[in-house]
Amino acid sequence: MLEARGLKKSFGQIDVTNDVTILVEKGERRVILGPNGAGKTTLFNILVGELKPSAGTIHLDGRDVTGDTVEARAKRGLARSYQKNNLFTELTLKENLALAVATASGASGWFLRDTLNDTDILAKVRDVAAKVGLSELLDHPVDAVSYGARRQLEVGLALATDPSVILMDEPTSGVGPEMIQGFHRLLKTLPRDLTVVIIEHDMDLALDVADRVSVLNYGELVFEGTPDETRGSSLVNEIYLGGRADA
Amino acid sequence: MFHQTTTKTVTILLLFIGMAIYTVFAGFYGRELVIEAAYLVILAISLDMVAGYGGMVSLCHGAIFGIGAYVFAILTGMMGISPFIALVAAIAASGLFGLFVGAVTSRTSGIFFIMTTLAFGQMVYVYTFENRALGGDDGMSGVARLDLSMIGIDTNDSLQFALLAVVFAALSYAVAAFIMRSGFGRTLVGIRSNEVRMRALGLPVLRYKAFAFGISGALAGLAGTIAAQQTMFVSPEMMSWMMSGEALVIVILGGLGTLVGAAVGAVLFVFLQHEVSEVTRYWHMVVGLVLILVVVLGNRGAYGQIEHLLERRKKGAPKASALEVAAEKDASHA
Repeated sequence: MLEARGLKKSFGQIDVTNDVTILVEKGERRVILGPNGAGKTTLFNILVGELKPSAGTIHLDGRDVTGDTVEARAKRGLARSYQKNNLFTELTLKENLALAVATASGASGWFLRDTLNDTDILAKVRDVAAKVGLSELLDHPVDAVSYGARRQLEVGLALATDPSVILMDEPTSGVGPEMIQGFHRLLKTLPRDLTVVIIEHDMDLALDVADRVSVLNYGELVFEGTPDETRGSSLVNEIYLGGRADA
Repeated sequence: MFHQTTTKTVTILLLFIGMAIYTVFAGFYGRELVIEAAYLVILAISLDMVAGYGGMVSLCHGAIFGIGAYVFAILTGMMGISPFIALVAAIAASGLFGLFVGAVTSRTSGIFFIMTTLAFGQMVYVYTFENRALGGDDGMSGVARLDLSMIGIDTNDSLQFALLAVVFAALSYAVAAFIMRSGFGRTLVGIRSNEVRMRALGLPVLRYKAFAFGISGALAGLAGTIAAQQTMFVSPEMMSWMMSGEALVIVILGGLGTLVGAAVGAVLFVFLQHEVSEVTRYWHMVVGLVLILVVVLGNRGAYGQIEHLLERRKKGAPKASALEVAAEKDASHA
């Protein structure tokens, strides 16, 4: 489904991603773990096309998308949410979600119809809002809702495009433990045919939702295994305790 | 996002009805002012579409305005082609030039976008200024007006031509408002708000920006044809950067990103220009002071400020989502 082979990204002499190979099956929940600076977000940026890899290939549904633009990959079903909120801040939540739905459905080019008054688009907006727990806030501008609601909208925008693969970059960053559980429930309710790759710092959440776990350290893939294998890995524990793993 | 609110509808209706009534009772000079205001309304609306809604601040709209005027002048004055065909051709040529400029400049942003559009504008200006076949710096005369005698309108009559110009301005507003509340218009606002996210959602952003510039260019070209018909004369001054700057001042004066503000700004600008110039030759300074005042007092423009006061939302504390409310309840029960 999503195959990244030998990915490398260098800035000058520094390799921020080095020979990373990750194969994610359709419907799989893959969690990417790693300490700060491990190259997790850089890996996402390469996967979605916001950064060009120095080496390596990316295949989506068997098709080489390495040279494709961000928008071309998104059109092929690859969506992402951002670690730092990347929203349409002066617009309402409804307008945010409608932009995503309209773009995905091809309605963004309509000249004779209003996407904000279209029954199908609004139904989809309400559906996504209900999934991420934002139904009550649809008419509020983004800058008038709380940080937690913005994090939910961040995920909602990605879901609104009906992706086949969704990359979530720390969806729970900056929110309280109760909200983390809420995200946890949301992840459990996502369709099983949706492939989900999550960067997550919360180990309990990560290991509970993951089918497989990949661990990055200093830009390299140093571990891959099931949640049980991850729990039992001294290497992973060592990385999370702050030491450099000599894998 | 653009919403045709009651405030907008009432304001724009009052503006155009007011212009029409003034036209009826004004003398020749007053009607000339109305025509000037009408084509500036169209030019400002075209600029507001890309600058206010698309975030693309253009300094070549004067040149596009001039292209519309010159194409109309060349076809009617030099080639004797029907003004109807010339009108369509002028709008198409301006639109295509806008599309081209948009396609080239949409990869840039901020100051680089502004300077690139300025460069395009100046190239057009210099080419026209130096081209003797187009009259060079002397310009061209002999521009024809639309012939609407078949429906009983005499465009050579100052009253009827001024009213026709107001009708064109009203139609331009209607077209712009219709586009801004379409899926395309919503998308344009999304691009202005967050281009990176629009790309991540799968939108070919550059194509949309270029197309928006093309539509805006077509409207600016229409404004140029009216200006050419008013004096039956065109000159390179119509396409100088000063014209682009004037259009930008008008949009900011009225209220960037409101459409109605562009129309209000144009009328206000013409009023200030002609009323103040009767009192002092330094009328530009007065316009400058008003502009500074408008920017300092909220940066919303004359109409934008009124709209803000009338329709601002009551902002309370940040609203929590259902998930957060549930989480808070769980925490309080624990």
